[in-house]
Amino acid sequence: MDCGDRARARQHVFLLPEYLKDASKKMKSGLLFVKLVNPCSGEGTIYLFNMCLQQLFEIKVFKEKHHSWFINQSVQSGGLLHFATPMDPLFLLLHYLRKADKEGTFQPLDQVVVDDMFPNCILLLKLPDLEKLLRHVTEEKEIDKKKYYKYSKEKTIKWLEKKVRQTVSALKTNNINVSARVQAATFFFGDPVSSDKEEDYIRYAHGLISDYIPKELSDDLSKYLKLPEPSASLPNPPSKKVKLSDEPVEAKEDYTKFNRKDLKTEKKNSKMTAAQKALAKVDKSGMKSIDSFFGTKNKKVGKI
Amino acid sequence: MESSDEKTVEKCRVHLRPGTLHDAALATLHLLPCEVLVSGPAPVERFFTPAMRQGPDGLEVSFRGRGLRGEEVVVPPGLVGYVMAMEEKGEMLVGKDFSEDSWNDEREEQELAEPPEALERDFDQFIGATASFSRFTLWGLETIPGPDAKVRGALTWPSLAAAIHAQVPED
Repeated sequence: MDCGDRARARQHVFLLPEYLKDASKKMKSGLLFVKLVNPCSGEGTIYLFNMCLQQLFEIKVFKEKHHSWFINQSVQSGGLLHFATPMDPLFLLLHYLRKADKEGTFQPLDQVVVDDMFPNCILLLKLPDLEKLLRHVTEEKEIDKKKYYKYSKEKTIKWLEKKVRQTVSALKTNNINVSARVQAATFFFGDPVSSDKEEDYIRYAHGLISDYIPKELSDDLSKYLKLPEPSASLPNPPSKKVKLSDEPVEAKEDYTKFNRKDLKTEKKNSKMTAAQKALAKVDKSGMKSIDSFFGTKNKKVGKI
Repeated sequence: MESSDEKTVEKCRVHLRPGTLHDAALATLHLLPCEVLVSGPAPVERFFTPAMRQGPDGLEVSFRGRGLRGEEVVVPPGLVGYVMAMEEKGEMLVGKDFSEDSWNDEREEQELAEPPEALERDFDQFIGATASFSRFTLWGLETIPGPDAKVRGALTWPSLAAAIHAQVPED
């Protein structure tokens, strides 16, 4: 309690792409963490911009119980490991395009990407080749040399399907993910063949992509990919769920609430079964920690 | 009042000082299989490091009387590890002046590389790398964390993320 701020100064362990180090020699500023909307959850999430190279990075946090760091002559509790990896800005733009689509007209991009909650979203407009990117998910019109865009669900689903295919092939070539799975199957079931069914890869990739799009779009994509309904495939043991729930009484009384809760946990579980150890660190619990990282009681800043 | 504070957070940008990325000295990191609740200085070099030895199954050490086994984990290719810390308010002003001074010689070059408009605002915060690393020691209780340890899985994330976020070809 009476430790000085110095001793408590939090240290953050990050893994950054190597080229940021080289690029940093030429810049004085231009690397910035900002909070933007998470295109899946709609909540605030930290992203990293490189304004010089004009790139967007997402930040994921490895977080597991019972870990701490020794960093030189200090200890840092929590044992968090942050990853900054390049992110396709189209996922974020899609969030705004879908929102603007409710108005149903062609609009210029600077009227689409507006956000009272996360005003830093204007940084997205500075990324290069936006026009080219937008072609994947929008219809466009050009009037007086100004471009107007309108969200296209058909194009978006096709774009997402390509993303899934691309991810499937990466999963197949990524030794670590696939081999972990084959290994487990070999050890425990002696049947490695069953473990690399094409459908499993597609479902897994669909799960990965679904972390970047809203639920509604994820469901549409699932139908398009002809994946079986996840809820149908899972048996529902209600007795167990009641035991797991903190307030079984409330759950019994309010069935909608109970069901919703149920579905949510189920979805998470079904994702985990897809040999998803590699992704366990991608879970949303990490997001909270990064929020606390930047939300460090930003006591009103003196001068504005 | 409170809502306006929150607003500031949403608007806030945390600038990472690029200079600190190439100046950062190498640090020694250990990832322990237990939670030490308080963060702060610790005499790692006095108690932990001298007790480390190479055993038949990897590195051995003890912490709070429990036997630990560990091994070096290399940061995945294409990535660099950094330890970062937020700058305090007072420090930030000093740091700013300092960095401006030290960059004076190359001012012209910078201005070319600088983005067109000023990105820094008064209410922004600053973070800098205090150290870098290319490997760390991963410790497990009694045994070395196996191939399916969560940390190892996490280290494969960047290669997967690259595939998810790569541009797809146009039709």
